[in-house]
Amino acid sequence: MPMNAAILRELEALLGAEGVLSKPTDLLMYEYDGSVEEARPEVVVFPSSTEQVVGIVQLAARHQVPLVGRGAGTGLSGGALARQGGILTVFARMNRILEIDTENQRAVVQPGVVNLDLSRAVDHAGLFFAPDPSSQKSCTIGGNVAENAGGPHTLLYGVTTNHVLGLQLVLPSGEVVGIGGKTVDTPGYDLNGLFVGSEGTLAMVTEITVRLLRKPEAVKTLLAIYETADDATQTVVEITGRGITPAACEMLDGWTLRAVEAFAHAGFPLDSAAVLLIEVDGLRETVEAQARDIEEVCKLCRAREVRRARDDRERELLWKGRKNAFGAVGRLSPSYYVQDGVIPRTRLPETLRKIDDICRRYNIEVGNIFHAGDGNLHPMLLFDLRSKEQFDNVVRAANEIMAYCISVGGSITGEHGVGMEKNELMPLLFSEADLALMRRVRDTFNPTGLLNPAKLFPSTKGCGEIRVQPLVQPGAGAPAAAGAARPA
Amino acid sequence: MSLSDAALVKLEALAGPENFSAEWEEVVQYDIDGETPSAVVTPPAVEALAEMVRVAAEARLALVPAGEKTKLDFGGIPDRYDVAVRTAALNRVLAYDPGDLTLSVEAGINLAELQKRLAEHKQFLPLDPPFAPRGTIGGILAANSSGPLRHGYGTARDFTLGLEFVSEEGTRARSGGRVVKNVAGYDLHKLMIGALGSLGIITVANFRTFPQPPASATLGASFLGREGALALRRAIAESPLQPRALEVVSPRMARLLNLPNVMAPGREFPEGQWSLLMAAAGHAQVVQRHSFDFRGMAEAAGAAGWFNLEGAPETALWQRVANAPYEMATISEADTVMKITALPAAYGPLLDALERAAEEKQMSAGMLIRGPGVVHLTLTPDESHQPAVPRLAAACHAVFDAAARAGGRALIERCPTELKRAVSIWGPPRQDLALMQQVKRTFDPRSIFSPGRFLAGI
Repeated sequence: MPMNAAILRELEALLGAEGVLSKPTDLLMYEYDGSVEEARPEVVVFPSSTEQVVGIVQLAARHQVPLVGRGAGTGLSGGALARQGGILTVFARMNRILEIDTENQRAVVQPGVVNLDLSRAVDHAGLFFAPDPSSQKSCTIGGNVAENAGGPHTLLYGVTTNHVLGLQLVLPSGEVVGIGGKTVDTPGYDLNGLFVGSEGTLAMVTEITVRLLRKPEAVKTLLAIYETADDATQTVVEITGRGITPAACEMLDGWTLRAVEAFAHAGFPLDSAAVLLIEVDGLRETVEAQARDIEEVCKLCRAREVRRARDDRERELLWKGRKNAFGAVGRLSPSYYVQDGVIPRTRLPETLRKIDDICRRYNIEVGNIFHAGDGNLHPMLLFDLRSKEQFDNVVRAANEIMAYCISVGGSITGEHGVGMEKNELMPLLFSEADLALMRRVRDTFNPTGLLNPAKLFPSTKGCGEIRVQPLVQPGAGAPAAAGAARPA
Repeated sequence: MSLSDAALVKLEALAGPENFSAEWEEVVQYDIDGETPSAVVTPPAVEALAEMVRVAAEARLALVPAGEKTKLDFGGIPDRYDVAVRTAALNRVLAYDPGDLTLSVEAGINLAELQKRLAEHKQFLPLDPPFAPRGTIGGILAANSSGPLRHGYGTARDFTLGLEFVSEEGTRARSGGRVVKNVAGYDLHKLMIGALGSLGIITVANFRTFPQPPASATLGASFLGREGALALRRAIAESPLQPRALEVVSPRMARLLNLPNVMAPGREFPEGQWSLLMAAAGHAQVVQRHSFDFRGMAEAAGAAGWFNLEGAPETALWQRVANAPYEMATISEADTVMKITALPAAYGPLLDALERAAEEKQMSAGMLIRGPGVVHLTLTPDESHQPAVPRLAAACHAVFDAAARAGGRALIERCPTELKRAVSIWGPPRQDLALMQQVKRTFDPRSIFSPGRFLAGI
């Protein structure tokens, strides 16, 4: 649907012609995010300052058009899609690191700064930014804040909310407000805690103050190789139960590691049923003791072999395999549907068997890749979008997996967010009273509902039949990076 | 019978007579700054509590939740105060999965009791707030109370997985969950933590638990001047060491902690000594490494003496550290405790300004500088013909200014009631006050939860 010409003229006056995209061929690029359901914006804008964001927000309010923020478009729950059209605000031009304060271990960044770029910028001072989503080479810190993003190393270091100290907000009214600050414990309610992870439904964020951590003195990366997936999940249960907290503890099942190996040549053994990629970091002494304890547990749980990465190159190769797994799977299947369920870690072995059972019953091929250490599961259900039957089966299987996660006391999303993917599942997790209070909070800050509409909350009130539209993962040549592209 | 009297009768019926008291001897124990409630209720279960809140809200009765009453004097003077709601009967462990390191408890449970339960599985909650071993989970969360361990483990917001609470409508609401990673829905529990009971009454808290480290030790060093202690703090912060607690202690605070005797039993502890305390934990080799490196860094910073503590004396010392600022405030009624957040790079000028503020108004200052940028300051007015409260008020204003200049904030945690009438204990208003007020109106439109006690009269 083309945007009202008057609004377009106003946007061009505000941002210049080079800051506004409205041709259908250009908009096509922005109807996807990291996964894909289509939702085409009516116009895409590229502000380069907080003042311009204020102008956009005021304009949207004046004309009563929906407004959605977007970083690099790598999100996996449809958070950055303009579900009801309107203006899509891409923060690609607000990508400056405004301040690096090494002594106090703080940085102030604009929302469009790429996650890994911040760690690179402070590397010389021996510091890093801890949240490390697999998409960290392209995803933005603004997007991380909106979704409260995680990553493999959040097992030890926590998710985005544990590292954000202050935000500059542009409220739907156009008012600019700073919350939190550079110091800890600012008096009053923990507004950072509310806004981080609010999926762009409460305000636009234009500046972010984060905590930087000191890089560990030593890092060791282990690869434990198993004949059965059960032995691998049992290892995770045992490591957790013994109170060992590695920095990361990732599991890839046989199917997934073979897909990855063909692509990344990371050295994953093709004949194994599962591998655990475990990393420990900290003081040399801590790392040595933990690595020894972990090796012992792996052996006890019948690991065929435990390898230690000999140097940084080997370590990076193993991580390349892990972090590019989704891309690798994309080469093998026309489409796949990634889940983000969370379960108590003691339930890992039975949950993996359950996922297997469900997928077998629906005749669906599945690859499993888990942030096993914190019980966060990413099963990838493979299908061909051209087959209606396969598609329907994937939806049913996914719902059964989610229902199982909830039944053992888990959650429907550990780090990808609810967005427009799982909003209809929210009543399975929260009562009407819980959701009513959350809605009241949304209506307080976003009274017109124009900010990222039709996300996070279920569209219907009752807990009747749940209908879920999965976000379909495209195959090879995924347009995931489309959002990062800038207009000519 | 007035509306509120009728509501009190209903509350008594809901609670049962044995869980309700309007006797003076009982209600006076819940006095806050001279304001005394009409009744004290102890809801026997969460359902009853929810119903009571509904009844109270309809009659606009003001409720103040209370655990062990250790922090009732935190916050502002209540605008209205009808009923103290005790969480004492809500004290069960609802679920504990040691293998998953997760825990779900009711809010009235005593922290020390809970720690004992966790210790059976060699686990613990890294909460070491003041007033141990008293204090309930609900009260600690409501005040966002923390202690020295926050340096290594963060504060409650970092390991609370979810909360249940009774909302102003009298319904049970929940956010977060019970698994260690979860981003479904708004994190309303983060708003509840530190809200001083102004948004609802916390009933259940879910936490991640932590393994007890196999070994620990505390290293201490003393310095003739402040610069040495701050230099050592900075050296440790910039080293690869990962202490679980790190504190710089002023001379006056050191005496309260009995550091002179710990440092050098039977020997002279010169006036004006500043100290630094560091706690290390982990495998034995890790603790040894901390010890070894600490000694090198302390020497380089010009330490006049050092010590190493383990076992029971170590535990006792850290309990004193957690309590010190508040204990000092019980020595004299006029004592005032402030909490200042600041950036470590600004510690030097900030501490100068704090000392000057105290000196100019004839008072003694004690300071405890906690790892991640928190300074606990106690102000004790010296004997003087001048009345204490105006002097305290002037000193507090000077502290607010000094904190702002150091890029931080200050607030008054505990002080005489008269000082609360003279100074805004939360410091100068910030630009996000309007957002805070909106949060309050959203959760508590009839203003029944602890009215007046939170930020700027919320």
